[in-house]
Amino acid sequence: MFGTLLYLTGCTIKNRVKRRLQRLREPRYLIGLIVGLLYLWFALFRNAGNRRAAGAAVRGAAPIAAIAGPFQFVGSLLLLATAAAAWLWPGVGHAVTFSRAEVQFLFTAPVTRRQLVHYEVLRSQLGILFGSAIATLFLRGGAPGRGWTLLAGLWVLLLVVRLHLMGVRLRRTSLAQHGASGLARQWLPLAVIVAAVGTLAAAVIGDWGRLTSLAGAGEVFRELQRLGGTGAAGAVLWPFRALARLPLAASTAEFGRALPVPLLLLALNYAWVLRSDAAFEEASAEHAEKRATHRGAPRAAVKGAAPTPFTLATDGPPETAILWKNLILIGRFASLRTLVRLLPIVIVFGIIVSTGGGRGVAAVAAAICLPLAAFAILMGSQMARNDLRQDLGNLALLKTWPVRGAELIRGEVLAPTAVVTAATWALLLASAVLGSGLRAGGAGWSLFMAHRYSYLAAVAILAPALVLSQTIVQNALAVLFPAWVSASGPRSRGIEAMGQRLLMMAVLFLTLVVAVLPGALVAAVLAGVVYWLTGTVPVVLPALVAAAVIVGECWLAAEGLGRVLERTDVSAVEPQE
Amino acid sequence: MIDVQHLTKIYGEFKAVDDFSFRVGPGEIVGLIGPNGAGKTSTLRCIVGIQAPSAGTVTVGGHDIVKQAVEAKRQLAFMADEPQLFSYLTVMEHLRLTARLYRVRDVDMRAKALLSELQLAGKEHALPGELSRGMKQKVAIACGLLHDPAALLFDEPLTGLDPLGIRHMKETIVSRGRAGAAVIVSSHLLHLVEEICTRIVIIDRGVKVADATLAELQARPELSAAGSSLEEIFISATAGEP
Repeated sequence: MFGTLLYLTGCTIKNRVKRRLQRLREPRYLIGLIVGLLYLWFALFRNAGNRRAAGAAVRGAAPIAAIAGPFQFVGSLLLLATAAAAWLWPGVGHAVTFSRAEVQFLFTAPVTRRQLVHYEVLRSQLGILFGSAIATLFLRGGAPGRGWTLLAGLWVLLLVVRLHLMGVRLRRTSLAQHGASGLARQWLPLAVIVAAVGTLAAAVIGDWGRLTSLAGAGEVFRELQRLGGTGAAGAVLWPFRALARLPLAASTAEFGRALPVPLLLLALNYAWVLRSDAAFEEASAEHAEKRATHRGAPRAAVKGAAPTPFTLATDGPPETAILWKNLILIGRFASLRTLVRLLPIVIVFGIIVSTGGGRGVAAVAAAICLPLAAFAILMGSQMARNDLRQDLGNLALLKTWPVRGAELIRGEVLAPTAVVTAATWALLLASAVLGSGLRAGGAGWSLFMAHRYSYLAAVAILAPALVLSQTIVQNALAVLFPAWVSASGPRSRGIEAMGQRLLMMAVLFLTLVVAVLPGALVAAVLAGVVYWLTGTVPVVLPALVAAAVIVGECWLAAEGLGRVLERTDVSAVEPQE
Repeated sequence: MIDVQHLTKIYGEFKAVDDFSFRVGPGEIVGLIGPNGAGKTSTLRCIVGIQAPSAGTVTVGGHDIVKQAVEAKRQLAFMADEPQLFSYLTVMEHLRLTARLYRVRDVDMRAKALLSELQLAGKEHALPGELSRGMKQKVAIACGLLHDPAALLFDEPLTGLDPLGIRHMKETIVSRGRAGAAVIVSSHLLHLVEEICTRIVIIDRGVKVADATLAELQARPELSAAGSSLEEIFISATAGEP
């Protein structure tokens, strides 16, 4: 039977490679492959150049080695967070990845569950090994040890994570099958997770006075690292640290010394997964169903509908109706869950505001909020996809609506713009509230601090226009090159897909520059005139004018794109892989 | 009401529909039948504006589906074989969205009547993930009927429905036809077509091979040689297995 499953794996790999090669006949994949290969070559070539430049004298003391301690600390925290998230939130850790066809063929065949578990574990090795190899290629120049220790370390680490997530998934399914009594039996792992997180939180709270008095982010991090390596918090993080330590081993001997604990964790997780095999079929079938219904929806439907963001009137422009629909998409699947997830952050922020007095950790938080706001403006539209990109899977339905293409485009881009703008405004507000104690040298900084509210207001005015322009470009790519946009379903993989994404990123930023230029020019002229008349440099007024120009451009772009959308053939949308 | 003239649809080098013409008047229920890959779905998709014709014209209520798309689509309803619903909208929210898009004022009253007619009462607040396939089909149909369209297109309308649902669906289609709507039903269920359609259009390899009432088809010597049932006529007309 194992031979049969091996045959299935072999055929799958062979046909996948064949298909990848075949699709290179399409220019978008060929161009993507070329760009992807160029990127890889450039990244590796630069790594090699850096190594040569660093010279043999510093061998073993390269970048990652220099920060091995922090790397290990952050890695251990991330691993703990992954484990905690898998237990606390259902949906995290879909480690059983059978397709609907596999469920149909294999689960009805005379194959034992244990064989299927083995098959699933073995099959996942391909992805894990490939991911480890790519990471090794990128990191080996800066890694402390040899290439193979990094590769082997990453492989063991990812394998343990994979097995653990699979075990969590199976365990949760098994317990859920027994209703309330089953869920009640889940208290032990949940209690362990809560106790672990609580121990870390207690260590931080116990040291809070010192943490808030420290001057910079570096000192705060070093103190946190010290806390994570000592006492009860150190004990909690020990297995995760042991796992994170393996890929960072500086020599073969150190790798050998670091190996036993990860191997023990691997064996324990493996045994645990095999013991949980009773729920395997149910978990696999459930996940296969969710993957199959993923098309056109970000997640599988949840039970019970949350309230809508606002009541949709029977009269009004279609744009509002589409905005309403797309806001529901966010609200229904993310609102409560997101709020619960954000709650700890809000609490921490509250503590910072009430105790930090604008110094120490508060200043660090304020300094983080500003780049985060910039990140939201520049990249937010790539993450908030509740627009045409999400709706491409429903294009056939959308095209039956009695709505002009431009109206459809405008309606589609409103929701992500609103969401990203709200996030940006929140971050700007946080930076304004927390940043009163920010200290830095230089006359420029003093000038900025003196007028910071004007600058923040100008950014707040510009933010929606910039986000709107980015969202319009994203949707333009979906309209003009629908096959390039991964609308729904599984995310495209491979070097060619990576190249496509890089290319689209470049187009995005280029278009942003082109879109901003006219507004910036008009605003600059206005600012010059005001300065000439009054002797002061205005900030808010030019921002308003620039924002108005950008919004005007977006309106015109929507009109043009709408006409293209009306002519777009549904068959141009990429079929699912 | 629906006027298809010299419709041609080409995908790459493959001609799915070739110079296909037919009309559906108010009150007519036309059965569009043909073997797999005959071009039925491509034809329906061109009529409702999902796909643009490669050549030819489609008008609905006198409005060209390409040049006056909004006006034409306002009179149309298309019920696809695979119901397309937004997984994050409830049944009632689907109806509200549709009402807003098609400018239906008395949405609550109409929705209530439709949900009752389609045995969906009590499911107003259910998400598609909580509904069976047949129920999803009914939701899509409720959305299609909400604005009282003058032209209705059904692609395999009985798929996924239970026996009672099938009976109600047939009644719904017939009642819409009697109320004056132009209806096209595309189906492989020949007994359904035979039972409810007033006229039959047979398409094979993208080309129209017959357009007549069942009685007229039965009267044609070259088609009726094999027998008088629609199934026998269909096999004879398409010269192969259905």
